[in-house]
Amino acid sequence: MVPVTYYLTLSALMFTLGIVGVVIRRNAIVVFMCIELMLNAVNLSFVALSRLVGNLDGQIAVFFVMVVAAAEAAVGLAIIISLFRSAKSVETSDANQLNG
Amino acid sequence: MEQNGVTALGYIPLFPLIGSVLAFIIGRSKRDAAGWIATLASAMAFAVVVALVMAMPEEAEYYYRAFTWFSVGGFTLDFAFRFDHLTAVMCLVVTGIGSLIHLYSVAYMAEDEGRHRFFAYLNLFMFSMLLLVLGANLLVLFVGWEGVGLCSYLLIGFWFKNLSYAGAGRKAFVVNRIGDAGFLFGMFMLYRQFDTLDFAELAQAISVNASPELLPLYFVVALCLFVGATGKSAQIPLFVWLPDAMAGPTPVSALIHAATMVTAGVYMMARLNFLFDLAPQAQAIVAIVAVFTAMVAALTALTQNDIKKVLAYSTVSQLGFMFMAAGAGVYWVAVFHLVTHAFFKACLFLGAGSVIHGCHHEQDMRHMGGLWSKMPITAATYGISTLAIAGIYPLSGYFSKHAILAALEGGHNPALEGLLELLVPMASVTAFLTAFYMTRSFAMTFLGSYRGHAHPHESPLRMTAPLIVLAGLALVGGLWLGGTLPHYLAPVLGSPAEHGHESIIEGLMHSWIGIAGIGVGLLCYTSLSQIPATIYRVIGPLSTLSLNKFYFDELYAAVVVKPLEAIARVLFRVVDQGMIDGAVNGTAAVVDVSGEVARSTQTGQVRHYAFFMFVAALLMLFLFVFAGRV
Amino acid sequence: MTALFFLVALVLLISAVGVVASRNAIHSALFLVGNLMSVAVMFAMLNAHFLAVVQVIVYAGAIMVLVLFVLMLLNIKLENQPALGKLVIGLAGLGGLAFLWMMVPLLQRSFAAIPQSAVDVQGSVREVGKLLYTQYVFPFEAASLLIMAAVVGAVMLAKRRYRA
Repeated sequence: MVPVTYYLTLSALMFTLGIVGVVIRRNAIVVFMCIELMLNAVNLSFVALSRLVGNLDGQIAVFFVMVVAAAEAAVGLAIIISLFRSAKSVETSDANQLNG
Repeated sequence: MEQNGVTALGYIPLFPLIGSVLAFIIGRSKRDAAGWIATLASAMAFAVVVALVMAMPEEAEYYYRAFTWFSVGGFTLDFAFRFDHLTAVMCLVVTGIGSLIHLYSVAYMAEDEGRHRFFAYLNLFMFSMLLLVLGANLLVLFVGWEGVGLCSYLLIGFWFKNLSYAGAGRKAFVVNRIGDAGFLFGMFMLYRQFDTLDFAELAQAISVNASPELLPLYFVVALCLFVGATGKSAQIPLFVWLPDAMAGPTPVSALIHAATMVTAGVYMMARLNFLFDLAPQAQAIVAIVAVFTAMVAALTALTQNDIKKVLAYSTVSQLGFMFMAAGAGVYWVAVFHLVTHAFFKACLFLGAGSVIHGCHHEQDMRHMGGLWSKMPITAATYGISTLAIAGIYPLSGYFSKHAILAALEGGHNPALEGLLELLVPMASVTAFLTAFYMTRSFAMTFLGSYRGHAHPHESPLRMTAPLIVLAGLALVGGLWLGGTLPHYLAPVLGSPAEHGHESIIEGLMHSWIGIAGIGVGLLCYTSLSQIPATIYRVIGPLSTLSLNKFYFDELYAAVVVKPLEAIARVLFRVVDQGMIDGAVNGTAAVVDVSGEVARSTQTGQVRHYAFFMFVAALLMLFLFVFAGRV
Repeated sequence: MTALFFLVALVLLISAVGVVASRNAIHSALFLVGNLMSVAVMFAMLNAHFLAVVQVIVYAGAIMVLVLFVLMLLNIKLENQPALGKLVIGLAGLGGLAFLWMMVPLLQRSFAAIPQSAVDVQGSVREVGKLLYTQYVFPFEAASLLIMAAVVGAVMLAKRRYRA
């Protein structure tokens, strides 16, 4: 039986890697994938804690996170496509229309 | 009957309010509909009032709590209405005469571009005035009080493209505000002492608190409230706005500056009679101010050539008569004169409007004359009202004016001891002057030969019909009300002293003052027209004084307006341009600079934003872990 | 069991590092597939069988296929701008370390606060389904609306010429 703390630590590591990726990568699709990484890290700790407290609510939460992730994938990738269409690139540094 | 009381009370002010909104909205596309909507709304309010009065049992009163306005600490203020006999009389006057004037205005304003605005304001005014008379506490009354002030400003300055008209509106507003300040102070003091603003509770509290140490408070409060009344009801020293208020359309002058709004002060004194009764010195001041106002305004009216200005000063003078009665402590007489005055003065103003309409917007009586044959209905109704205001038996003005003089004479206010020998003759002289200047205006307008260049014609039926109704009321209203009104108002204002019936002969004898005034006036302005000129030459300086309205405007200009302007200039230069503008510009500069700094963070790079979010998350985490408890 | 955990955890971390560090986006995507598979294994080890299956089908299957499809469609292989400065990467790494450093005590504290349960929950399809269609039926319906909105939105955004 693996202690729940192990899972939580693993989740924290994975989340951190995701965060660092979001900050340092410039390819919008990779940024998007790093966000998936963070979501999965959270999912992992949800399931681990669900096991710890002994009810299924955590797993239900993971289910809904997946729903949101799927919706996000659809909309996010559509945005990336239209971004590519207007800027001929998926570099986030080229999408600087908000520059004040 | 519901838990909140008689719901019908709520409809009375509601109809004009809805009418106002509808008249404005619908009137924007269909100008002609506005007048009829407003008239209908006003007539419906009148119908509700009549129904309520009919259904009301003896000595009863209705109460309706619309909603709780606010509740602060232990103090709860309801937006509540109270309908007793005094309110009933006021409501009948406001909605009844108001409806007639609405009807008249439909024809009078038929060609004005902004008539939807006009009727919206007119109905809004009705709404405010009804709030004023229906309010069950001082604050609701005050809302109406301010509302009529606002509507008066809007309507006087209705033709705001003319700068002097707009100025007249502003003047009315500012002068009214000065009075309102007094009213507010009075209200604050009452609340501080009694923790309530409800009329019934105040009456209760004051009747059990008649101890001598509270009398100075009552005196001060009564005086403050009277200052408010001088503003709204145009008494010395705050009457200067009313003559200028003639800048508005004539129906406005009839409705606001003769029949309703200016009577607010009288109504307020009658409503708070329990307070004024305990402040005899304040009552004495009221009476003295009233007599002087009546006198000065009547003297000014003698020499005015603008037909509406004569009526305006006459209104000030007649309001003086009402306050005489209130100051003498005989409130029902004040209300009585208020009602009869509403009849004949509304008729006079509407008649003047008819004349102005017929003479193609000529207001100077020197360019009129001989209109008797050209506009007979107007002339007849104007003539009846002139007789009424002069106080000729058996017209309405006779009864109320006679009752006022009797009340003043029979007053037993110790503070007026010794002064009555002066005041009563002054009031009588004023009554004589009233008859004289009204006859002058009638003679200059309708008698003799026409001196103008327009082609005067009679007004349409929609304008003459209200005139006829009002003239009829002026004719018989006094006879009818003189007997019934004192008993009707007794539950609110106390029982009046009984006085026996007088025969026609006695009545005619008692109206000798008015008859004399009319006789002298007719003599001067028809057959012996050289007399006035001679008189003016002889008493030259005095007539100049009258012609220039006793220099009240100039006095205010020198004493109040000029210093205020100087202070305002200093404030403008130093405080406004230097400090306030400096502060504003400084703020703008700070925002500008900080914006420049903040702008550099807005790179438009999503990655940078993500980075800032990361840093913020780190900071939050830091706070959680090391500073807070999780 | 523990040995298996460490093995999977190693794969998980290496693939996560691969997602972040690969210069080629397609490599990142493939690493992410590996990462998601390892998470699925973790779910299975935690008795969340339903989620493990959904993870493989929805995440590693549907979503990642979509991502790869977009990558192929847009035909981007390398980031064509010069790599980020060492300073930025170093800062981000430091931030990440600080994040971890604070995360650990936070987790420990929360962990101590949670009452341990003796019940060994089984996240079977039956159990999760029962909960999903009873207690969580309204969020579930709301989720379907969300998906619906996302589909419509995605079509609107990706249409070649759309009028706002």
